[in-house]
Amino acid sequence: MKTILVVEDDKNQLLLYEQELSLEGYKIITARDGLEAIKKVREQLPDLIVMDITMPKMNGIEAMGKILSEHKKIPIIINTAYSRYKDDFMSWAADAYVVKSSNLKELKDKIKELV
Amino acid sequence: MVSHILKDCGDNVINMLTDALDAGLSVLDKDLTIIWVNKTLPNMLNLHYNPVGRKCREVYACECQDSRHCSVLQALSTGKKTSNEIQLITESGVRKYIRNITTPVRDGGNNIAYLIKISLDITQQEEKVRRISLLRKFAEVMQGTLQIDRLLHLALTCVTAGSALGFNRARLFLVDKEQNVIYGKMAVGPSSLEEASKIWSEIAHKHEDLDDLIDASVKTRHYDTPLHKTTRLMAFSLTDEKEIIVSCVKTKKMILERNAFSNDQIDKKFVNAVGVNEFICVPLVVEDDAIGVICADNAYNRKPITEEQVELLSIFATRVALAFANAETYRKLWEKNQQLKETRERLVRSERLAVIGNMAAYIAHEIRNPLVTIGGFARILMREYADHKKVKQHTEIITQEVSRLEKILANIMDFSKPIETVRTLIQINELLENTCYLMGPYLKSAHIQVSKKFDPSIPKIIVDQTQMKQVFLNLIKNAAESMTQGGKLTVESMTEDEYIKIDFTDTGEGMTPEILQNLFTPFFTTKVDGTGVGLAVSQKIIDDHNGFIKIKSVPKEGTTFSISLPIKNVTA
Repeated sequence: MKTILVVEDDKNQLLLYEQELSLEGYKIITARDGLEAIKKVREQLPDLIVMDITMPKMNGIEAMGKILSEHKKIPIIINTAYSRYKDDFMSWAADAYVVKSSNLKELKDKIKELV
Repeated sequence: MVSHILKDCGDNVINMLTDALDAGLSVLDKDLTIIWVNKTLPNMLNLHYNPVGRKCREVYACECQDSRHCSVLQALSTGKKTSNEIQLITESGVRKYIRNITTPVRDGGNNIAYLIKISLDITQQEEKVRRISLLRKFAEVMQGTLQIDRLLHLALTCVTAGSALGFNRARLFLVDKEQNVIYGKMAVGPSSLEEASKIWSEIAHKHEDLDDLIDASVKTRHYDTPLHKTTRLMAFSLTDEKEIIVSCVKTKKMILERNAFSNDQIDKKFVNAVGVNEFICVPLVVEDDAIGVICADNAYNRKPITEEQVELLSIFATRVALAFANAETYRKLWEKNQQLKETRERLVRSERLAVIGNMAAYIAHEIRNPLVTIGGFARILMREYADHKKVKQHTEIITQEVSRLEKILANIMDFSKPIETVRTLIQINELLENTCYLMGPYLKSAHIQVSKKFDPSIPKIIVDQTQMKQVFLNLIKNAAESMTQGGKLTVESMTEDEYIKIDFTDTGEGMTPEILQNLFTPFFTTKVDGTGVGLAVSQKIIDDHNGFIKIKSVPKEGTTFSISLPIKNVTA
């Protein structure tokens, strides 16, 4: 079973991802901010990371930079409410960029593709 | 001495002496019937009949109703010698100014039996005085006139007005330094002899004071007279120094040419264009620079130009030039002011857009996150209760509404997102064609017929292709949505001045002035499911391209959106 780390500061949203992605047959671990995400990666080394950007303590882009410097090969999907980070070249390091939507189809498709 | 003459000429001597006088003499009885006149009087008044036996008032054709101003009536009532000045139009239509001096003559019973009336022709002096005062007043009015065309027309009217400078025709030429030419700007005066005589007989009969003249100047400011038209076609290179008008500009001195056709010192292009042998050119000098020339002549009555006319015209031209400089300064100021205003409006608009944009972005993102959760869980419920009809139906409604909200947010976020531009040289027609093709199926389903009128000669311009396409899409979609019952959409491209103009014309409902006013305000919409950012975004994009959008709309008939994009884009 593949492990996916979902990084998201919104508690309810996180619950949604946990439920939906478990149904797809993944093992879900979670983190609530960038710092926690780095810690979780070190502990459990997931097969893929779904990363929010705006979060307290450390934002997603910074966390992504740190994680990639340690584990170059983990695929990362940026999952954010903002479309404007698409133009931020820092976000280009991610393998995919998904604008949040209540329809999780796009996110699920991207995960399937990258795992 | 007198007795000698008496001896030689007998009774005739009185007639001889009085006829030799430069003054008109008449004797009236106390009923004001003329009983004797000398020969000078009928000549002075251009009479074609013998005035003896007629009433004084018939002969002088003056209005003696007002007894305070009539020397005869005054002399009769006061019994004293009285003088006054009158103005009259003679039988041949010439205006004259006459000074009358009336002396009562008493009989043995000391009653007034006769009146001796001496009439002096003071037309010349009087006209001179009036002329100068008129010119002065004219100059005053001109100083206050800031509209250049009106000012110049006033000036030419004054040059041709009989009671002012009295030339037959006047033309005005202006120097164009960039092109290095002097060209015909406007002209005042009759275009033919017939027209001239008609105008003269008309104006001879009415008293022309300043207000009349200014009135006439305003009224006759139609520029379609043949003289004006031919003048507008004239232009002379400032390098042709042997042309009179050019040397007038170069020397900045007045030139009076009395024998143009046989003057072999000059080139004849200008002379032939003016078409008269005698004319005068006066430069309009502003700050030691000749900005133009007034050329006047007496083409119709062929009177030689008098010293007085020359002198007055030269004084007058100085005033015209000053007034012109005034008006020109004013015009430049006005233009600058207008530019400032536009820049300010633009700034205010983009400022407002920026504020609204930031606010919109903030709200949109704050709302988007909870929406994801709401919609996401609704979907889970929908799936889990797939066999429970009611729950399924209700959760379906929730997901649909959430999707709609998300779509609106996406729209708004596009608007508030800072626009990255990639500008390339493209042919607008191709982009239009492409956009129309893209919208084809949609327009067809809405029963809208598209008519494309692309001008193939429009040049390529530098624009952001994606953004411009967005604008076209917005405008086409708007047009289509205004034609709820179907209709016709005309897309037209053309070159206009320094711009490429693209018109989108629909046959839809049109818009009221209130709607038009708010059209580009972000989030203003008349549509049930619109977000009101489409046109605001379009306006912003066109603004960024240094272009502008104009709208013409007639309710119930349709609307035309016109986009103008500069051909030479400075920021490209």
